[in-house]
Amino acid sequence: MDWPAARTSLLLAFLTAALLLPIGVALARWLATTSWRGKPLLEALVTLPLLLPPTVIGFYLLTAFGQNSVLGAWLAQHLNLHLVFSFEGLLFASVLVNLPFMVQPIQRAFASIPHNLREAAWVSGLSTWRTFWKIELPLAWPGLLAGVALTAAHTLGEFGVVLMVGGAISGETKTLSIAIYDRVQAFDASGAHVMALALVCFSLLALALVFAADRFGANKKPVKT
Amino acid sequence: MTGKLSVQLSNTAPMPLSVQFDCAPGELVALVGPSGSGKTSVLRAIAGLLKTPNLHGRITVANTVDGAVSETVWFDKSADSKHHTNLSPQDRRVGLVFQNYALFPHLSAIKNIAISAINTPASDINNLPEKLVQRLGLDGLEHSLPSELSGGQQQRVALARALARNPAVLLLDEPFSAVDAPSRTRLYRELANLRSSVSTPMVLVTHDLYEARRLADRVVILDAGVTLQSGTPEQVFSRPRNARVAELVGIQNHFKGRFYKTKGAAEGVVPSVLGQLDWQGCLLTVPDKNKLDDGAHVTWVLAAEHLDITSSGTNAACEQSLPPNTLQCQFLEVLSLGESSICTLAPLGFTGLADVRLTLILSSAQVRNLMREKKSAETASNHPHLVVNIHIPPQSVHIMPMRI
Repeated sequence: MDWPAARTSLLLAFLTAALLLPIGVALARWLATTSWRGKPLLEALVTLPLLLPPTVIGFYLLTAFGQNSVLGAWLAQHLNLHLVFSFEGLLFASVLVNLPFMVQPIQRAFASIPHNLREAAWVSGLSTWRTFWKIELPLAWPGLLAGVALTAAHTLGEFGVVLMVGGAISGETKTLSIAIYDRVQAFDASGAHVMALALVCFSLLALALVFAADRFGANKKPVKT
Repeated sequence: MTGKLSVQLSNTAPMPLSVQFDCAPGELVALVGPSGSGKTSVLRAIAGLLKTPNLHGRITVANTVDGAVSETVWFDKSADSKHHTNLSPQDRRVGLVFQNYALFPHLSAIKNIAISAINTPASDINNLPEKLVQRLGLDGLEHSLPSELSGGQQQRVALARALARNPAVLLLDEPFSAVDAPSRTRLYRELANLRSSVSTPMVLVTHDLYEARRLADRVVILDAGVTLQSGTPEQVFSRPRNARVAELVGIQNHFKGRFYKTKGAAEGVVPSVLGQLDWQGCLLTVPDKNKLDDGAHVTWVLAAEHLDITSSGTNAACEQSLPPNTLQCQFLEVLSLGESSICTLAPLGFTGLADVRLTLILSSAQVRNLMREKKSAETASNHPHLVVNIHIPPQSVHIMPMRI
């Protein structure tokens, strides 16, 4: 087991999920209720990382934030922020790539809340903000849990973008999935096996959690009449 | 202390609306109409939930503080003036019971109720949620989730939630449509009890006329967004303003005819002036309220409670010997509903009335008596051949102009 890589992977998964959760909730809640005309385009943009080859995303991130790009040079000079071949860069890329994994389950959860529950809350005197905290969020939490679990599992498994943007610097940007690749390249099958098995277990656990949450949430669905 | 609710609304698109009514404290006004008539839109407009740019009108609630009456404007928008008030649902102090209750599924009964008291100062709440639980018979169910409650219990939780806000106006949107008949009867009683202790204006939306008649002090009949008639249930049900109202309120015995004025007035009858109704050849003496022109085509309604039904002595039709305003009818069908029976009758002796059917709800005892009298003459046959004389006193006939 490559422990520095495991540490990088877990830290990346945790931070990605933590950063993406508030962004995802805000975006998903808005998408679930808006009737804005540009909504399909925005939804397509959010879902795009799901379909694009990771190399394409990695390539454009390198182009946008590399030392030779205007944006990359500006960030490096003014904020001392290097978004390629660094952990920060990895995190940024990871947040971007995981957008659909976080937003989609949460959006579905918000969309499934009957609108008359919001109206009932307003008529009961709850402000929009309070309605969100007291009514909508508690009802949407299986979706939030699903988003976090999927994001974490997907971050651990991400390979292409991580390799291109991070560059596999040991202890900084080398993740488990890259370490597995390295072991296989070095004909160390048993070394690869341990890490691969760990990833399988983690992903399985995350998915089981998602489905369990879904089932639990189903018990609290609005009552039939 | 809350006061009268005044509603005056008009809308053009997407759905036309033209409604005006008042509701005094403690009074229950029922908005009645078929689906799509706009009754729920009116309720949503009062609650501040109707979002449509073309809505105009005025919704106000009177307040009485130390004897001084003031007025809170909830909504005010006229086509010409610039000022425009539209309070949010949160600022309107309404209690709304939704059609399917819209209880918060993740909160227990007591939390569902208490959440609407969230903005009320603790001193004013005064354990109101707990008191409501007790008053509405929900003891022991405080910690149940809505999904664990029966339809009737959910309905009571919804009602308690609406009341926990100490509303200035209580709105009920088809509150009884989703519960079975026995719980509905119990809930009617509970609403009646509630009305003795709560003095807010109440507006009930329903398509069920029986419900409106049973619960409301006044009914407003809506069709396609327009008020057709408003008044006490007795007024509307016995004297519908036009044929459409008669149709909407489910009056079965409405017929067509022509109205003629008479020169001389008969003495001794309560409406001093009488006219004549030509009911496809059958002439009836009817009241003349000087609202109709001579020879007008009319729709008329028969108020069954004023009819006199007697067994006809003979089997054959002999109009000559019949008293005035009396029609001989034959029973075609008797549908027994226990204490009462729905009877379908066909008039005899007028070719113009061959297709006309009267529907009368008679007590089963009365039907039995009529049959017994008949049996002395003819034992074998059953009620389908029973012939009776129906006396139609002028006050049982209500004449309306045809809807144009």
